[in-house]
Amino acid sequence: MSADIYEPYFMRVEEITDEAPDIRTLRLVFQDEAEGRKFDFRAGQFGLFSVFGEGESTFCIASPPTQKGYIECSFQKAGRVTRALHDLEIGDTVGFRGPYGNWFPLDEMKGKNIILIGMGIGLAPVRCVIWNCLDLRDDFRDITIMVGSREVGLLVYKREIKQWEEMSGVKLVKTVDPGGETPDWDGEVGFVPTVVEQIALSPENAVVVMCGPPIAIKFTLAALDNLGFNAEQIYTTLENKMKCGLGKCGRCNVGNVYVCKDGPVFTAAQLRSLPQEF
Amino acid sequence: MTEFKLKEARLGELVNALKGEGYRVVAPVEEEGAFVFKEVNDPGEIRLDVLRTARSIKELFFPRVEPTLSYEFEGGSVTCRSEIPESARKTAIIGCRPCDAASLTMLDKLFDWDYRDEYWFKRREATTVISVACDAPDSYCFCTSVGGSPEGTMGSDLLMKKTSDGYYLLEAVTEKGRSVLETAKDVLEPATGDEEVQVGDVPRQFDLEHVKPWLDKNFEHDYWDEISYKCLSCGVCAFVCPTCHCFDIQDEADLERGVRLKSWDSCCLPIFTLHASGHNPRATRGARYRQRVMHKFAYYVDKFGMTACVGCGRCSVSCPIDMNICTVVAGAAGQAEAST
Repeated sequence: MSADIYEPYFMRVEEITDEAPDIRTLRLVFQDEAEGRKFDFRAGQFGLFSVFGEGESTFCIASPPTQKGYIECSFQKAGRVTRALHDLEIGDTVGFRGPYGNWFPLDEMKGKNIILIGMGIGLAPVRCVIWNCLDLRDDFRDITIMVGSREVGLLVYKREIKQWEEMSGVKLVKTVDPGGETPDWDGEVGFVPTVVEQIALSPENAVVVMCGPPIAIKFTLAALDNLGFNAEQIYTTLENKMKCGLGKCGRCNVGNVYVCKDGPVFTAAQLRSLPQEF
Repeated sequence: MTEFKLKEARLGELVNALKGEGYRVVAPVEEEGAFVFKEVNDPGEIRLDVLRTARSIKELFFPRVEPTLSYEFEGGSVTCRSEIPESARKTAIIGCRPCDAASLTMLDKLFDWDYRDEYWFKRREATTVISVACDAPDSYCFCTSVGGSPEGTMGSDLLMKKTSDGYYLLEAVTEKGRSVLETAKDVLEPATGDEEVQVGDVPRQFDLEHVKPWLDKNFEHDYWDEISYKCLSCGVCAFVCPTCHCFDIQDEADLERGVRLKSWDSCCLPIFTLHASGHNPRATRGARYRQRVMHKFAYYVDKFGMTACVGCGRCSVSCPIDMNICTVVAGAAGQAEAST
């Protein structure tokens, strides 16, 4: 990269997957293959994805670092940039700056029971960890994946959920909010916190990685607390609005913490010590 | 060290000597009824007597809007170029106040933190800051309350102090300042040491030591809603502030070409933290004004070891509803003192 910290890499859209209405995943490859080979990141890190002429938007890298040669991002059409990203076709150009921020402590998670909870579009950062763990399966003990969605149609990564379901050595629990089920739904019906308590996840030698809407995080934390999990063994991410990703533009701070630099990954204990401004 | 002095009437000659050395000279001049920093063509325009320009010297290093990227669309493909300058123009700023100069040292920390912003540093490296000590500060000034001084040297390369007999004493602070003295040596006279300098008094308004401990403990406090009740969320305080540095990044383009722009922003504006989902972590004026005060007096101290306020008073002067940050912070410090 040049000395210009705001200059993006040039990426090419290689694959587009429709996940749910208005939610898409783009697979991107580096236009400069040498840069692509040099590029490395850790699960949990994020980047600024841009459409030239429309602007930049912040997403986590949703593909795992164990799968080389491309990165993926999943996003919901919501504003100017996500609308433009949604309109891209295979072969189109995307700008990318990153990787930024900290990551999930995969090294410390080795030898432990791993519980991965993704709620709504929050499954994107968790998916990165899921594949990262599955690609290094022998490093971990039990792997439990839990996915939650408002309704069946809004579940993202449906194909992959099926794959995880069929894998040996993975326990998959999927749930939709009451009223969100369809006649052929074969998963649970209930809010994630309720289901978490029902299936009685065990805190024993466990690490939890959990992402989702703030309200879902809040109640799921309470459920985990009831089950005896302590706040140090639960990791989540903050998703504050960002512009630079470099600790300069002053937008993403929560108290004296810059989410782009000190985060986006925090333990539940760290979240509790922050001002409630996220 | 003060070895030289400049006769006030010979300021123009100093300016011309600098220009002769290839400096672009920027100084306070009057423009449409306001005082602003601009490139000086005629040294006669320079107004070293102006206490407070409308905006600070921040914009000479960090412009209100600047492109970081330009690109062109052609036949379905994009070509793009970083707008980072090879080098910035050699510049001398004459006549900023010590508070403005101090803001540069504060912002150096931010722009060098981990990722180095060369847009800022290329201009910093190419610029010599010649400040003028304040002989007549006014009631909005509170530099002494935030660790500064009307004759402070932080951030300055050369400090000029007015004397009672029509001179400026010149104190070189850095190597850059010394090379200005060298450039202008034919215009300068040796200082005698018995000059009487005219430096005004800025009374202390609050004890900075009490501020951060109170802020650290009172994120949740009625004080924030009370003081911000009249705030209009217009953001002018951030735009005139020498240390406010929050910015936005936006694209502007037509069908053929476009630019990616970095432009000033303000935490007082409701859309600053608004998510696309509609969720806003700082949805109230109280939360936003608290952010402004916390960022300057608590978070910046945690991150960089200094307060991000230089006490220039611009935000208070410019505020349409007369919000005064000095009063707000003094109020916080006062509550801290009252409770001890």
